[in-house]
Amino acid sequence: MTDHQPTPAAEGRRDEAGRMGDGADPGVWEVFRQEKDGEPMRHAGNVRAPDRDLAMHYAREFYSRRQESVRLWVVRRTEIADLSDPDLLQPPLDRTFKKPGGYVLRDKLDAAKKRAKAAKK
Amino acid sequence: MTTAKETAEHRLPTRQTLLPDLPVFDATALDHGTRDALAELLLAMADDEFICGFWDSEWTGIAPLLEEDVAFSSLAQDEIGHARLLYEMYGRLTGADPDRTAFLRAPEEYRHARLLDHPRTDWAFSICRRWLYDTADAIRLAALASSSFKPLAEVVAKIRREERYHLMHLDAWMRRLAAHDGEPRAKLVAALDTLAPDALTVFTPLAGSAGLVLAGVLAQPMTVLAERWSLEVGGMLAQMGLPKMAFGRPSADGRDHSQPADSFRWLWGEFTSVARSEEGVEW
Repeated sequence: MTDHQPTPAAEGRRDEAGRMGDGADPGVWEVFRQEKDGEPMRHAGNVRAPDRDLAMHYAREFYSRRQESVRLWVVRRTEIADLSDPDLLQPPLDRTFKKPGGYVLRDKLDAAKKRAKAAKK
Repeated sequence: MTTAKETAEHRLPTRQTLLPDLPVFDATALDHGTRDALAELLLAMADDEFICGFWDSEWTGIAPLLEEDVAFSSLAQDEIGHARLLYEMYGRLTGADPDRTAFLRAPEEYRHARLLDHPRTDWAFSICRRWLYDTADAIRLAALASSSFKPLAEVVAKIRREERYHLMHLDAWMRRLAAHDGEPRAKLVAALDTLAPDALTVFTPLAGSAGLVLAGVLAQPMTVLAERWSLEVGGMLAQMGLPKMAFGRPSADGRDHSQPADSFRWLWGEFTSVARSEEGVEW
């Protein structure tokens, strides 16, 4: 196993398809697991293996030998399209108005309650 | 000072509760002949799994890569787990204590196939031996899967589910080693040469096996299982581009250890060392 992050050397080096390509370690396979039927696949960790068969076997050893998964996905790290560009993912301009937190409901709610009380009387 | 009551409370749960995988059964329902023959078969199978597990456990900490270290150690442990079930079942038939059977017999009294006498040697050798053995074990287990002795069929069904993965893993390694010219392939071929003459000892005919077939406990006699194995292994070797091997036929002395091999004597010394250090003590 390796650490859970791509190596810094992988940053910024992509092949045309956006895959991590040569920058990532081709011997590393990322493992996703499903704990119960119907639940989402979650990243479990990774294994180092020389081929797909052994990667699946090692994934089984590390992430389900004690029946903790019902399904595993194993994918070579170089096949993963990586996107971590801050210009794309962390836009610099203020967009808080797009979030529900941008609206203050408290005053409107109080006013509505008062109206309802008055209407009852 | 502890009272008798306190001592009793501190005792471990009984073996019955520790082994939920072993069905409860009445050994007296079997006639004497079948019971003796079945006991002989169970002891041979248990010893195979036990010795195989011990040899392969020697790779713990020194396997070629960390992931494989965990995988191969877990395969070894599975075999010792299977041995435990089989020794337990043997004990229910004969009254023998499973721990004593596993750890406190003399080397001459073990009944494992001579294929399992060979030491760990190198990685290609261990993979090759385990592949030859597990393929044989799979064929033997298949012949017990619909056994008329239901408790055995139940246990075998569980063991077979684990063995499926063992074969997948060993096939993957055999293909890898066979496909890489130079040292990997050369060592694999050398291992096959050394192991081929002993491979069929797993199917050594047992005294009572004809009776077991008649009683429906075992589907086919060992000689038929040996032929099936030779076909399967021969086909796979050809598929992997490995040389043809002459496996011969199973001989009568394939499980005889009246003169134990040096390698087995050494392993026996290792795996019995703790049990022998305080014989009869309750751990």
